[in-house]
Amino acid sequence: MCGIAALFAYAADAPPVNREEIERINARMVPRGPDDGGVWVRDDERLALAARRLAIIDLSAEGSQPLRGVEGDATIVFNGEIYNHRELRARLEKRGARFHSKSDTEVVLQMYRHYGADCVGLLRGMYGFAIWDERERRLFVARDPYGIKPLYFADDGKTFRCASTVKALLAGGAISPARDPAGAAGFLMLGSVPEPFTIVKDIRAVEAGTCFFVDGTGRHDASCHYSIAGIFRHAREQQTIANLTTPEILLREFVTESIDQHLVSDVPVGVFLSAGIDSTTVAALAAARSAEPLRTITILFDAFRDREFNETRDAALVAESLGTKHTTRVVSREEFLADLPRIFDAMDQPTIDGVNTWFVSKAAAEQGLKVALSGIGGDELFGSYPAFKRVPKIRRLARIPLVTKFLRHPKARAIPRLGGTDAGAYFLTRGLFLPEEIDAGAFDVVEHIQKVFDVDPGTDFGRVATLEASLYMRNQLLRDTDWASMAHSVEVRTPLIGGWLLRQLAPLLLSQGERCKQFFALSPERPLPSVVKDRRKTGFQTPLREWLDLPSDGTSTRMRSWARRVLEEFA
Amino acid sequence: MNILVLCTDAFGGHGGIALFNRDLTEALAQMPERGEIVVLPRVIRNAVGGVPEGVTFVEAAARGQFAYARELTRVKRRTRFDLVICSHMNLLPLARIAADDPLLITYGIEAWRPRRRSSNALLHHCRGIVAISEITRSRLVSWSKYAGPTFILPNAVRPDQYGIRPKRRDLVERYKLEGKRVVMTLGRIDWSERYKGFDEILEILAKLPEDVVYLIAGGGSDMQRIQRKAIACGVGDRVRFTGIFADEEKADLYNLADIYAMPSRGEGFGFVILEAMASGVPVIVSKHDGGREAVLNGKLGTLVDPSNPAEIRTAIADALELGERKIPEGLDYFGIDRFNDRVHAIVRSFVQ
Repeated sequence: MCGIAALFAYAADAPPVNREEIERINARMVPRGPDDGGVWVRDDERLALAARRLAIIDLSAEGSQPLRGVEGDATIVFNGEIYNHRELRARLEKRGARFHSKSDTEVVLQMYRHYGADCVGLLRGMYGFAIWDERERRLFVARDPYGIKPLYFADDGKTFRCASTVKALLAGGAISPARDPAGAAGFLMLGSVPEPFTIVKDIRAVEAGTCFFVDGTGRHDASCHYSIAGIFRHAREQQTIANLTTPEILLREFVTESIDQHLVSDVPVGVFLSAGIDSTTVAALAAARSAEPLRTITILFDAFRDREFNETRDAALVAESLGTKHTTRVVSREEFLADLPRIFDAMDQPTIDGVNTWFVSKAAAEQGLKVALSGIGGDELFGSYPAFKRVPKIRRLARIPLVTKFLRHPKARAIPRLGGTDAGAYFLTRGLFLPEEIDAGAFDVVEHIQKVFDVDPGTDFGRVATLEASLYMRNQLLRDTDWASMAHSVEVRTPLIGGWLLRQLAPLLLSQGERCKQFFALSPERPLPSVVKDRRKTGFQTPLREWLDLPSDGTSTRMRSWARRVLEEFA
Repeated sequence: MNILVLCTDAFGGHGGIALFNRDLTEALAQMPERGEIVVLPRVIRNAVGGVPEGVTFVEAAARGQFAYARELTRVKRRTRFDLVICSHMNLLPLARIAADDPLLITYGIEAWRPRRRSSNALLHHCRGIVAISEITRSRLVSWSKYAGPTFILPNAVRPDQYGIRPKRRDLVERYKLEGKRVVMTLGRIDWSERYKGFDEILEILAKLPEDVVYLIAGGGSDMQRIQRKAIACGVGDRVRFTGIFADEEKADLYNLADIYAMPSRGEGFGFVILEAMASGVPVIVSKHDGGREAVLNGKLGTLVDPSNPAEIRTAIADALELGERKIPEGLDYFGIDRFNDRVHAIVRSFVQ
């Protein structure tokens, strides 16, 4: 995991790239990569690449970035992990490729040299990267299917800039920090800034599952190398495959394979453990595969000590049954308030979440861990969020406006107006503010949500799963996990999220729906402790209401008040 | 040592399971310590031939379920068997007539999930289970919790029956393959077996060079859907169907191929993969079923994720560019001598 940046003065009349600018960008990303850093400026000053490195695979200096290929005709900056890098290396070696390091970064570079833009379809992992192709004098930019790793860019028509964070790009000093009204409105309505918008008008996200070239003529249209909606649509024709073996065997085989790949590391790996099914099952499967005793970490917010959100007792029981080295880290209000300025500084874009990940990552770093597995993504994958039931229900309700006319809640009253489509119904399920409650400007939230359907997934489950993966998970869960963990130089890996895993499981997910979560809980060879299976779902909440005395805002969690407060920090 | 083999088909049978049972019977017949070997087939499709010396092949058993039970009772009365081999899970209830603890042989998807309740319960009475592949063994053990001894017995291939041959002119003309590079898959095209990988190849064919055609060898109930899909994918003119073909043409059909590709998900092992390799055709097979074991985890051929079109497409393109016709070193792992040794070792572990 790293922070990367690239500047490319592609237009003939663009000023040369500024070494100081890219060094400032790189300096802003030091927590993302404290182990090493490098900047390369091409002799003609039309291109600069920079990277900060958190060394996890191939700890030697050979893995340092920017990394130039043996042939000297391509240079890469890469953020992420490629889990099938050994397999790809063997394949490349058959084609005569040569390497000077053992790093996955160099494998990506050689994959590009041999397969061009097609290489992204063969990578399994999380990534955002830029490759300078000396032969074609062009930059190739790509991001992973789910957008686990961030990558942002700015293009003023003469110079293309990209970096792993919005704040790093701004630190370069060449981009106006003017706020994007669409980004701000999107944040207030959804709780996170919806991609491709950012909170900065001149910065956009490289969209998940896409790649593009930048050459002397400018930035080319992005091409999509992965479509979540497309995977679900295709899975409708594959129901024979879903029934070849039992659901729990299928889940065990594929999730175990995913975990095996996520355990590949030259440094110790821990697991974030709650008492929920997802993290517990991931920990159980990982513990059975790990050569060393696994380290597990649970957070207790002291405000929740005597409440249902306290997972520590059950998590400790799970850890004991799995034989892990377990740590329960208590977080007090005082610690939260002391950390709050650093939290806002690390928060790359406004979000109503991420504080929980901040503290669990902090605890992991205190334990000397550089890598931790997380069970996030399980609810989106196995259809266990309420949205999977609510969205179809709201859509049906929208057809009978008389029913909702007598409801008092503003969202309920908006059902006839917004709830007739999956996108609108999803917004009413997940939304924070309604458009009329804020200054939404020209940003049409429902139209924006609708765009995640590049094709119709074809089933209710497929549609809601696509919405959850493309919106809440991408813009909130994954982005928050990235900034909050990177601030502590911890790489969080997500074995339940990935383009490969969805491809394998999509037929089963459509066949079994939300029952997949139960099958997943049955997948470890040793049964999970009964406390896990019997436990009511609570989520990984943070006591912001209690700690900040947030004013009443019509929600039980005071998230609207928190959102206003967060946005002020980005003024 | 007297052995009774209960099987679906063997001599006079067609397909992979029949071939496996013939090889098994021949291996048993070669055991020096053997006594009487009796084989009861459930069905006979063709003329029976090639029954090894010393083997009693009870054709009367193939006349129906009642006849099978009757013949089974007769041979059991006549001979005391040291080992009863039940070569299909569905035959387990009948096998109980002959023995309380048969040795079970499993092949593929029939053992990947619970099927008939009666057969599932009887599994635990088996003295051992032989699986054609590790994936079949592990899936069976996983759902059944079978705790007895298990063995892996992969298919055998006889390279002398295949080999690299010139392309037969009449076949090239019949399937309009002149000047074309051929990607081939051989298998039953059945609606209940939509896991062979035909769909996956059709979906990427348009992105392969225009001189590449797809030869589908086999027939079945799903053929019309596949034909419609080829047209929908815009490659209707680049797909050739042989339909059901004569067995004696099989080796020549393999020799029409430049690449044998089978990105499947439900193969217990994939005997056809061995046949293709024995014909010197580079193979591209699935990471996610028994095909993986047929190429010794990638040592003898290329593995692809059947759910990833980019992986299938680039693997085929690589093989077309770099692949060469040769019989891979290491294919002797699946030679008939090794098969015989494995059978003998399994049998001797139960009967001294």
